[in-house]
Amino acid sequence: MAGDRPLPQPDEDTAFFWNGCRENKLLILRCNDCGTYIHLPKPGCWSCGGTDLAPAPVSGRGVVHTYTVNHTPLPGFDAPYAIVLVELEEQKGLRLVTNLVDVGPDAVEIGTPVEVVFEQVSDDVTLPLFRRRKDGAA
Amino acid sequence: MTRPVAIAGAGYCAVARSLEQSAGRLTVDACRAALADAGLTAKDVDGIATYPGGGDSVSSFYAAESLGVPKLNWFEDLFGWMPAGITPVIAAAEAVANGGCDVALAFRTVKRPHGRPPPGIGFGARVGGDMQFRAPFGDSMTSSWLAMWARRHMHEFGTTEEHLGHVAITSRHHASMNPVAPLREEITLDDYFASRMITTPFRLLDCDFPVDGGGAVVITTLERARAMAKPPVVVAGGVFATGPRPDWDQWDDLTHMASKYAGDRLWERTGMSAADLDVAELYDGFSWLSLCWLEDLGVCAKGDGGPYFASGKARVGGGRVPVNTHGGSMSGGRLHAISHVIECVKQLRGECGDRQVAGAEVGTVTAGGGIMGGALLLTADR
Repeated sequence: MAGDRPLPQPDEDTAFFWNGCRENKLLILRCNDCGTYIHLPKPGCWSCGGTDLAPAPVSGRGVVHTYTVNHTPLPGFDAPYAIVLVELEEQKGLRLVTNLVDVGPDAVEIGTPVEVVFEQVSDDVTLPLFRRRKDGAA
Repeated sequence: MTRPVAIAGAGYCAVARSLEQSAGRLTVDACRAALADAGLTAKDVDGIATYPGGGDSVSSFYAAESLGVPKLNWFEDLFGWMPAGITPVIAAAEAVANGGCDVALAFRTVKRPHGRPPPGIGFGARVGGDMQFRAPFGDSMTSSWLAMWARRHMHEFGTTEEHLGHVAITSRHHASMNPVAPLREEITLDDYFASRMITTPFRLLDCDFPVDGGGAVVITTLERARAMAKPPVVVAGGVFATGPRPDWDQWDDLTHMASKYAGDRLWERTGMSAADLDVAELYDGFSWLSLCWLEDLGVCAKGDGGPYFASGKARVGGGRVPVNTHGGSMSGGRLHAISHVIECVKQLRGECGDRQVAGAEVGTVTAGGGIMGGALLLTADR
């Protein structure tokens, strides 16, 4: 990808996620009361309303739930490029917007098994990107 | 107190790709047109609602002062994620029903920033809020968010690019009979497939057409409306809806939008059903949105929206419930569905000429896409 892509500005609720990525760990906020994963990070649990929440490590394994190949030029990106929505295996509907590092825009398919790979893009930002899973298992 | 409510007047200002007039001027023109349609003047108005939320319009107070409204008993400026064109209409209808005011204007004006548009939402060195989880991956445009929903719908139900093309063709066919529509030249599937890709599966001809313009309606009690210049169009119901996870990525099922919840709620509140509809003006910021609205309102089965358009059932004279008889946003211009409201009013009054749905008595107007939706049910005064 080209440089100068927009980078995240973490806040009190989201810093754990980006700090985790810097250490090559994918952390998702989880409710200690009901076990539900909560993404995007919020101060309360969408499932039970609980507020006892803590970041929890997840496997980084998932499948491509849907995607679009964007042909519109945006600063920092070489169009066309694929934007994918990966559903993590820990919970139905738990999804991350990301890009695939090893699949070209013409080859993206719904259902492709993928796993997280971390890419440092600046001094303080590492992004969770994904690649095709070698074991192939969905 | 709850009073039956009607739309007594409807009107447009100029609508075109690019206009010299300010947002304020366009607003005044649209409001005066709606008032004239009802046989009223600004002196009769005591309520105003609008959505100036895009930074592309003016406030209720600005409109009131520019129009010469003597005094407002009720006003509302609406912001944030919402079905922008019909939210003020529903808000004004509720205010009149509850006695907050007696004669309300509801308007939506869109004056685009001219010059090169900004590259999506969330550009700049650092991006906070929800966009910090999208912008770093190049996911900065509503087109890409909804394209991913459309792709999922294609995956689960076999909806095709050709189906989307027929939404565009139908829109343009209806616009060809609407003198107000800025795009009136009919198109073919070849034209559709030749239009440039924006973000798959959306081509340029899947997108609404950005314009400067606006529209307004006059809302009052049914009793008062019956004494005004035009036949009243009754507001039978108006609803807003979202789902349990109002987030563009975490939404439970990307094959339906908030349209599902809005549709269910509309029929629940009005005691009517899709079987009662004669015409449907469905928000079409992108082609797939009106297809999805059609399914989620129950006009056709889930997954059958594509074939409904491809078989001509969405055309005036072609099927039971024609869709976007004015050309929608895709051919009639991106006015955030205030044009859909005006068209529905005109259809129910029988004023639409070549594109008139014969005997139309019940119509719906929907707005919004993805995580938020709103729907209106309008009827003739029966």
